[in-house]
Amino acid sequence: MGLNIEVHGLKLAYDAQPVLEDTNFSVERGDLVALLGANGAGKSTLLRCISRILKPNAGHIMLDGTELKHFDSKEAARKMAVVPQETTADFDFTVEDIVMMGRFPYLNRFQKEDQSDREIVQRSMEMTGVAHLARRSITALSGGEKQRVIMARAVCQQPEALLLDEPTANLDIGYQSMLLELAARLNREQEVTVIAAIHDINLAVHHFNRFILLSGGRVMSAGRAEEVITPDNIQKSYGVPATTYRHPLHGVLQVSVVREKTRVEGHTKRPVVHVIGGGEEALPVLELLIGRGCRLSVGPVSAQDSGCRFAHFHSLPVVIVPPFTSMNGVHKEEHLELMRKSDLVVVPPIPFGEGNLPIFEEVEAVLKEGKPVYLIDLAGVEKRDYSGHAPQLLKNLVQRGAVVLEKLEDLPGVVDRHGGSDNG
Amino acid sequence: MTGLVGFLIFAVVSALIFGAVSIGWRSVLVILLDTLPVPVSIAGVEVSPIHEDILLQIRLPRVLLAAAVGSSLAVAGAVFQGLFRNPMADPYVIGISSGAALGAVFAMLSGFSLVLGGFGAVPLFAFGGGIITIMLVYSMARVGRAVPVMTLLLAGIAVSAFLSALVSLLTYFAGERLHMVVFWMMGGLGGATWHQVKVMVPYALVGYICVSVFSRDLNAMLLGEETASNLGVNTERVKKIMLAGSSLLVAAAVSTSGIIGFVGLVVPHFVRLVAGPDHRFLLPASALLGGTLLIATDTLARVIIAPSELPVGIITALLGAPMFLYLLKKRKKLRYFGGGG
Repeated sequence: MGLNIEVHGLKLAYDAQPVLEDTNFSVERGDLVALLGANGAGKSTLLRCISRILKPNAGHIMLDGTELKHFDSKEAARKMAVVPQETTADFDFTVEDIVMMGRFPYLNRFQKEDQSDREIVQRSMEMTGVAHLARRSITALSGGEKQRVIMARAVCQQPEALLLDEPTANLDIGYQSMLLELAARLNREQEVTVIAAIHDINLAVHHFNRFILLSGGRVMSAGRAEEVITPDNIQKSYGVPATTYRHPLHGVLQVSVVREKTRVEGHTKRPVVHVIGGGEEALPVLELLIGRGCRLSVGPVSAQDSGCRFAHFHSLPVVIVPPFTSMNGVHKEEHLELMRKSDLVVVPPIPFGEGNLPIFEEVEAVLKEGKPVYLIDLAGVEKRDYSGHAPQLLKNLVQRGAVVLEKLEDLPGVVDRHGGSDNG
Repeated sequence: MTGLVGFLIFAVVSALIFGAVSIGWRSVLVILLDTLPVPVSIAGVEVSPIHEDILLQIRLPRVLLAAAVGSSLAVAGAVFQGLFRNPMADPYVIGISSGAALGAVFAMLSGFSLVLGGFGAVPLFAFGGGIITIMLVYSMARVGRAVPVMTLLLAGIAVSAFLSALVSLLTYFAGERLHMVVFWMMGGLGGATWHQVKVMVPYALVGYICVSVFSRDLNAMLLGEETASNLGVNTERVKKIMLAGSSLLVAAAVSTSGIIGFVGLVVPHFVRLVAGPDHRFLLPASALLGGTLLIATDTLARVIIAPSELPVGIITALLGAPMFLYLLKKRKKLRYFGGGG
């Protein structure tokens, strides 16, 4: 099992509008490939060329070294099965009938389905978890069930390659994973070559091990996730600024589109805000402030911290400490300088431990110099204190004039009151 | 399926018994048995030679022709509904009937006295008109080597509308032949002859074999052409053969009996409602039910105002429509054509 698919110099145009322009790639026997690319990049068109629905204007498609056009309909259907985005099921066939259609390429015109065909149908339905629906009408199924039935039919076709065209586009997240895992399982257990056009890159990286990125009908990049899914490639092919990061649980590469900030009019009048610390607690504060057009500085944060990535991404001044080190004094001057340059200092509800207690000293210093300091949400401070001193230290800051904001939503009002200064 | 065969036989026998002259079932049996090469005799039944003539020369060919026409229309209807994935499709949907009507009306009004192979000008022109129309529609819908069904359907409707207008135009000037034209368009099996049966049946058989050999392909086509193609169906070839086969069926039916409506639309729906959309069952079952239905309605048409008769198309619609609606209601929801959602 497994099919080697090569595409050389493929060209196709709809009404003189080129969709594929000199597309080249090869997919090895047993590859598990996600075909990525923006809408209109040519993903579906490419798959439909391979599945013989469309005839390319130029170029070659080779299956195991033989040109596709030398295969007749049934031979091709024994090599490749297709799972489309959606299947119209207007007619009242049972699930079993639909799956049995996968045997079509193996039966000659006057042959009836026999016991072995029925067994293959049964196995296919069991593998995709639709055996209990066998006698149900296809018209009565939900989208997710229907797509698994179509998958069962593809399995029943016993193909060497499986082509999926946006198979998960209409499914909920549960069915999305289930369907792609099925494809991955076929690839693993039967070495079926899988090529799936897919929109959701973050979903794709969980299930696939090779990636082909199409852009404007050409292959822009092909290879492992790290090689293909880069902010630069995403920006070029999808036309949006993006950032990549590791999934916190699975460690796989993830992509996030960076929102285009609508810069507030006259943003130079906005205050310069220094935000203390990083992590999940500081990020919403940073997002909110940058969304309102404030100039920001960040720190101190450790080099791997999300706050640090945020600062780098937006080219913000940031105080960085090496991971796993105490902040004790080392970066004090740098931190003090950033706070002094700002119009106000915000302390998000970050956790406190022995390592970052020196922050209090530094904040207190600028507070004494008359810098406005805002503390967000002190209600649950005991829960995020690992030093035993933070509640008291925060209380001291409040006595020295720091203002407590009960919730994050109060911050925009504060920022607006402050306006800007010229010292940024 | 055996039930449907039983229905058909029952319809044939009933149709032979009833008519302007009623012939007892025993006489019918004796006359039929007499035609067999092996002598079989049933004692105590006297058969009048007039009855024998009525039965063998008038009723039997008419019943058989009704069976052939009804089957052809029902099968062609099933094929068109499947091919176009459209429940409104009937045998006439892409204009065969309009083409045939134009041919027939032209023959009637021009008074051609052409006779070919034992046929007059009307059936010949009707057949030719139907076949030429389908070829015209096919070539108009063709894009390169492919024929998209939606284009085919639209081209058919447009051509059909155009030809119908021409028919209306000719009818407007029909003068004293108007009655003849209108009667032909309503369809009927009056004056059926053995000769018609002999010519009609081979056409019907060839057409039927063409389409039924590809019934599994047609099943896959119901899921859309792309899906069918991905399953290994040579969709363009299947479409051509299906069109050719069903056009043959319809043209043969229309040229012998005019435009009989409703049978081709309703019979496949009946069968689908009861037995599902699998063409391997749908096509033979539609053939049997279509034949039965047309025999039954034609018998009514002969009997209701005997010795005069009604155009059978009126009866098929009068009876078929309420029966169909009843079945729809009873089923509560359409189990096919997207009704299940």
